Amino acid sequence: MNSETLNTLDTYSKNKYKYGFVTDIDNEKPKKGLNEDTIKFISLKKNEPDWMLEWRLKAFSKWKRMKEPKWANLNFPEIDYQDIYYYSAPKGFEKKPKDLSEVDPKLIETYNKLGIPLEEQKVLAGVAVDVVFDSVSVATTYKGELEKLGIIFCSIGEAIQKHPDLIKKYLGSVIPPGDHSFSALNSAVFTDGSFVYIPEGVKCPMELSTYFRINAENTGQFERTLIIADKGSYVSYLEGCTAPKRDDNQLHAANVELIALEDAEIKYSTVQNWYPGDEDGKGGIYNFVTKRGLCAGKNSKISWTQVETGSAITWKYPSCILKGENSIGEFYSVAITNNFQQADTGTKMTHIGKNTKSKIISKGISLGKSQNTYRGEVSFLRKADKARNYTQCDSLLVGNKCGAHTVPYIDSKNNTAVIEHEASTSKINEDQLYYCRQRGLSHEEAVSLIVNGFCKQVLQELPMEFAVEAQKLVSISLEGSVG
Amino acid sequence: MNIQDNYQKNKKNIFFSDNKDIQSHRDKLINIFETDRFDRKNNESLKNINLKKFIDFKYKYLVSAETSVINNNQDNSYSIVSVNGQCSSFKDDKIEITKILDKDYNDFSKNNTIEKNDHFVNLNSLFLNSGFKIVIKKNNNIKIKISNIVTDDNLTIFQKNNYICEEGSSLNLIEEYENKNNSTSNILNVINLENNSQLNHFLIQDNSSNHNLIITSHSSCKKDSNYTQKVYNFSEGYVRNFHYSELIEANSEADLQGIFFLKDNNTSNNKTFVKHLAEDCKSNQVYKGILNDRSKATYFSNTHVDQVAQKTEGYQLSKGILLSDNASYFSKPELKIYADDVKCSHGSTIGPIDENAIFYLRSRGMSKIAATKILISSFINEELSSIDNEQMSEIIQKKLVRYLSKVK
Repeated sequence: MNSETLNTLDTYSKNKYKYGFVTDIDNEKPKKGLNEDTIKFISLKKNEPDWMLEWRLKAFSKWKRMKEPKWANLNFPEIDYQDIYYYSAPKGFEKKPKDLSEVDPKLIETYNKLGIPLEEQKVLAGVAVDVVFDSVSVATTYKGELEKLGIIFCSIGEAIQKHPDLIKKYLGSVIPPGDHSFSALNSAVFTDGSFVYIPEGVKCPMELSTYFRINAENTGQFERTLIIADKGSYVSYLEGCTAPKRDDNQLHAANVELIALEDAEIKYSTVQNWYPGDEDGKGGIYNFVTKRGLCAGKNSKISWTQVETGSAITWKYPSCILKGENSIGEFYSVAITNNFQQADTGTKMTHIGKNTKSKIISKGISLGKSQNTYRGEVSFLRKADKARNYTQCDSLLVGNKCGAHTVPYIDSKNNTAVIEHEASTSKINEDQLYYCRQRGLSHEEAVSLIVNGFCKQVLQELPMEFAVEAQKLVSISLEGSVG
Repeated sequence: MNIQDNYQKNKKNIFFSDNKDIQSHRDKLINIFETDRFDRKNNESLKNINLKKFIDFKYKYLVSAETSVINNNQDNSYSIVSVNGQCSSFKDDKIEITKILDKDYNDFSKNNTIEKNDHFVNLNSLFLNSGFKIVIKKNNNIKIKISNIVTDDNLTIFQKNNYICEEGSSLNLIEEYENKNNSTSNILNVINLENNSQLNHFLIQDNSSNHNLIITSHSSCKKDSNYTQKVYNFSEGYVRNFHYSELIEANSEADLQGIFFLKDNNTSNNKTFVKHLAEDCKSNQVYKGILNDRSKATYFSNTHVDQVAQKTEGYQLSKGILLSDNASYFSKPELKIYADDVKCSHGSTIGPIDENAIFYLRSRGMSKIAATKILISSFINEELSSIDNEQMSEIIQKKLVRYLSKVK
């Protein structure tokens, strides 16, 4: 490797985490540790009905009997569940502010530093933002406009109070609490998250968006998001994450459930930029996320797009259960790991119905001493006649201390279904670099250009509002000073 | 009967049971059996298999005297008949055949490429009752054909073979497994290729439906050596082909290929694993499967590239055709890469026979069955046409015709 590449690598790795700051707000939290009292405390704080508490306790009793899944290609010290705060809300939040001017100015400032000023965003982007700051929804904008169309977009806590029928029917229907230990944990202690319901035939006119922030130290953030698209409806949902710098590892175990009924379409986009830890691998977020969508009706469609650049540990498999006939599942992913980051991410496409189709495009980029794994399962069940899958996963290695791994599971039980899978691993092509350099680009610019081209297939799937930020993030994680 | 009792009871006709080192290794293995939870989900060697049948077995072994080695000096070829895993000793200036020794067992038990919880390999080490060692001497070019014969019903054969190709040698090895009796053969081949040596290894498997065959191989390749393995599985009984290859010195190559033809209720488990531990090595893993009726198959392939193994080229391809709606195929083509200057890829497809191709042939007046058969043959044509041994080619064509005659 030439010295220039080494220099570039050096610049990448020295690039500090831009969003590492801490907002100083008094927190009100229960004692550390997980037991029935913690769950009762959370439920009480959130003013929940009894059936919800019961549901949580049931999940907790399941969790106690479960062990963490161990199959992932990840290396991290045992998580001490008793050393975590399970609820943290900025003080005085029992009474919700009516509009943004009532929100703690420090909070608003935090978001301004992140480049997502609520005030501006309201006007400029036309995006309704449901901000989760630690565990409580801060402000939900554009609610009125959405209400006119019959769209429900609120925090899950509010939905439990106001729409218990929908919650009872759908919560846990895609990810049962007993699915695995992280889903049981989340079901027991989830504090906030978003709830979206799009009524029959409604096309949601704007992109719905949530920014999650973990703020208080030692607070596991356990969001729970539930999106239901009724017959013939459409919604595009954006989720972005940035977290401030911490030395202790923080646990994050979210559950996201999507349900698409007949002819409905859900597009779910994520930009994940939690704190990845420093150059020595100290600190960083443990991100154990379960995301699963159910294409319940005929002709329904669920599309996941993710850009994963942060977190010390990423364990995330946005999946689709293609139950309805002719339903479609899509997964587009870019995962970039640097320093000591470890990512084990991918998807699971389960074809149950006839003529179901799925497409997987995954791009992994490993730098520094990181490990990046694509793990995906495609299965065709016996009745999935004429089902079709196409998978492509490419990995790029920069430097010889990192690893790129591909672990696909392909299972076909139907002889009319067709699966195609291809994957490749390589380093940045010298010829391409040479070509760019020859035309006057610096080494960094050239690398940036090539990597952007490598990710293009995925980045172009992101909605406009996100595309800019995503490209920025790719640049930050990659190019050091460039971008 | 549990493993411990079974072992103690039959200790007297198990190899090396009086060696202390080996005994302590075996104690560890017994411990693995007693503590393992037989987690089918995470243990590749357990998928699609009734392990109980193989663990709770009745040990039976017979020594037969009918083994032979015939040397045909004219073209440097040897015919070996191995009976119940045993082979008579033989020595000339080109090759040497002996029994396996304690040392060979110990050397292998230190290798950690094969997973600790591969229970079939552990059973083999525990109940080892046969096997031989073949050394190809320096700079010789040899052909060997081995017929593996099992004489009686209900035999449990645990065989460990050692093949050593010394510097500059070249070996063309054809192994035949054609048995009609109700027995189980568990075979472990340990292959060492010295500098600049070459081994072309063909395995023809054609057992009847009540004969179980478990073959595991481990080859390690030194500088400039080349190992090519081709497996043709026509068996009607259970076959497990797990093949591991380690490229330990620069510029070595491993090529692991296989075709399996399944029908009825048959199952086949396949795995190839190539570990690149040095620079400039190449590997290729290609498996193709044709599955009819209610048959099931799994194929795990894995390319592991170590940090030092720059300039590696590693390719994988897995293709499956499902002829019936009750057949199922599971494949897991894995890449684990720790070096940056590599070219690695894998491709995997599973599906039916292309309907457009059938339509094309039928529109030219061919019946549906005839069209299907032609397309199956063309699916594996690349592998068949690459066989340069005419006699082998003929044998395989015949078996293919037999398989196709059952396709409806």
